[in-house]
Amino acid sequence: MNATIKRIAINVGFGYSPGLNTVISGAVLAANELGWEVVGIRDGFEGLLFRDRYPDRGLVLLTPELVETLDPSSNILGTAVRNDPFHVRIINAESLVEEVDRSDHLLKTLQAEGIDAVISVVGTQGLSILYKLHRKGLNTICIPRSVENDIATTALSFGFNSTLSFVTELLDRAKQAAQSARQVGVVEVLGEHSGWLALQAGIAVCADAVLIPEIPYDLQKVATKLQDKFRTGRSHGLVIVAEGALSVDKEAVVASANPLKASLSPLATDYQGSHVIQRSGHAAQTVALQLQRLINQETYPLVLGDWVKGGAPTAVDRQLGLSYGAGAVRALHAGQTGVMVNFQPPNLSFVPLMEAINKIRIVPADSEFVQIARSLGICLGG
Amino acid sequence: MTNSSTNQTGLVLNIQHFCTHDGPGIRTTVFLKGCSLRCKWCSNPESIHPKPELAYNISKCIGKKQCGLCLKPPCSEGAFYVLEGEDDRIRINWDLASDCGQDCVDLCPTGALYLFGQAMTVEQVLDEVEQDSSFYRESGGGMTLSGGECQLQPDFSAALLQEAHQRGFNTAIETAFNVPWSHVEKVLPHVDVVLHDHKLTDPERHKKWCGVDNRQILANMKRAYETFPDKTFIARTPLIPGVNDDEDHIRSVLAFIRPYHNVIDYELLPYHRFGESKYGFLGRVYELKDFTSPLPESVQRLRSIIDEAFGRSSPLEQTHELKP
Ligand code: SF4
Ligand code: SF4
Repeated sequence: MNATIKRIAINVGFGYSPGLNTVISGAVLAANELGWEVVGIRDGFEGLLFRDRYPDRGLVLLTPELVETLDPSSNILGTAVRNDPFHVRIINAESLVEEVDRSDHLLKTLQAEGIDAVISVVGTQGLSILYKLHRKGLNTICIPRSVENDIATTALSFGFNSTLSFVTELLDRAKQAAQSARQVGVVEVLGEHSGWLALQAGIAVCADAVLIPEIPYDLQKVATKLQDKFRTGRSHGLVIVAEGALSVDKEAVVASANPLKASLSPLATDYQGSHVIQRSGHAAQTVALQLQRLINQETYPLVLGDWVKGGAPTAVDRQLGLSYGAGAVRALHAGQTGVMVNFQPPNLSFVPLMEAINKIRIVPADSEFVQIARSLGICLGG
Repeated sequence: MTNSSTNQTGLVLNIQHFCTHDGPGIRTTVFLKGCSLRCKWCSNPESIHPKPELAYNISKCIGKKQCGLCLKPPCSEGAFYVLEGEDDRIRINWDLASDCGQDCVDLCPTGALYLFGQAMTVEQVLDEVEQDSSFYRESGGGMTLSGGECQLQPDFSAALLQEAHQRGFNTAIETAFNVPWSHVEKVLPHVDVVLHDHKLTDPERHKKWCGVDNRQILANMKRAYETFPDKTFIARTPLIPGVNDDEDHIRSVLAFIRPYHNVIDYELLPYHRFGESKYGFLGRVYELKDFTSPLPESVQRLRSIIDEAFGRSSPLEQTHELKP
């Protein structure tokens, strides 16, 4: 299909992460080299689903000159509240609210605009929606974006590195606060199903304990670790807990967080692109309360919620964003469609969307990071 | 009643027996599926979509090793899956499972997969309602249609209500009135008591919290009060802190209803969070907002405003809880 490509579009699925403009720039610059025109769709697919709401009819022409002026930390296109053309909520002519399938309409609009393919920067749920659109005939390349680095197949999702850096910086501050208060700070970080963020940031700040969803925790072990340190004169502690961390003791789970999560798809996301309805704080609270019973020091919970996804991208994410953007164009040029760009250092490759969805990239028990943490004396609770 | 109207089918979510808050006496409440609002506090998310819909209770799944039936055709590729690791229970990709229905549910031996919503005829519904008839006679109760929005299925609702009347039951509906007037005209002639929601007075705020403004709703209410002077109307407000638990709202509802003598009462239903897990069963995480319950003192204060308007000296004993 590459011979026929003249014009492509790019959009960003719901949720955010640092440095989305770098992905957009990467795609625009690479497409320009091939003589392709690139337009951006505003707010996910909403720019094309509700064209009347936008002065520019929902499409932005993205030229190399324009992208040169973009601030790498922001996102010129915006994101959708939910990026799902199959269930578009509308108010019909009778003032009734209903959800309608606008996917056909979307595909027709793309065709009428002469758009030959769409590059989408999406999280886990966005991948499924793009896969559905691909089954209906859309030429699409997806770019994985996840601040939790939980998208399967790719080694590094876009946005993770920046969030990791920011969380590390905040944990340093939390540690100082714990030190001066002579207490144990229990800090919850994002990670409903995979503990990469907690584990890697926990290693970076040499936390006393890191609790992740992949390793059910026994708080007695954490308590013993902390008491050992207190015996040597230490009076503070830092425990990192991923929001999806679970106790080995099933009864110890905070009841109210449970029924909602029970039957959810692990990949279901809320309107901000987080994994479940806003429930943040439960993990930190549970651990802080229960840990306090087992040790002499006081504990306090702290939550680093969704807002850590904001801010400026790191050098790694800037490079990665440009590479993912350019990689998506390379995929189209090579005649690929219905694939996700996959980064397995040092290579960029492409995997069919079906292989990327319905999986979560979790921390394996024998992961190098797990071993590093253990050898640094960081308690993993199990 | 003709056979053709008792054969009429509608989409029923649930029939609940021995209800005491949905009209006079002991009642049987028939919940119809489909709603034309999207209230952010809705405790019945399963009643919103006007089609049968797949739900999943993971605690009933026996896993891929023991069963795994839903992982094969006819279930569509990618709709059901298992994650790596010990837990081999099914997970649902709700975006790919949107076409799954009866076929998938029938496969599941444990009932982990099930459907919300069932097509029923007027006769089937009434036969079930009839089982409680002795209680109605003693308590002055009857049948209540609720939802969702029961007036979204106007022909079915009208036929149900008419048949209930024929069988000698008192009839009531719970409605938000966000339907075309032509629906109201069909349904209301067969209703004795109309319990109707005044959720928010300001049109823009109504749109923000319920998905659409309330112009059609208010016009319908006014017209209903005027067109059906012999019907009993009871206004209600589900009281949600920070949304509509203010005096202004209560007073404007009172100003709206007091000129009409057939609106005999105005009830406040303090919000209580329940139904949360059902959002999970439907895979719909992003809709429910985390509301708290109103404080008893503020409910009491607002109720006394209503009592005053209705010329009641002592506060009415109202212990109702929100049943959308
Ligand atoms: S058919 Fe039902 S019990 Fe069997 S694996 Fe699927 S969900 Fe589980
Ligand atoms: S009107 Fe009732 S059923 Fe409909 S969305 Fe609102 S609360 Fe839910």
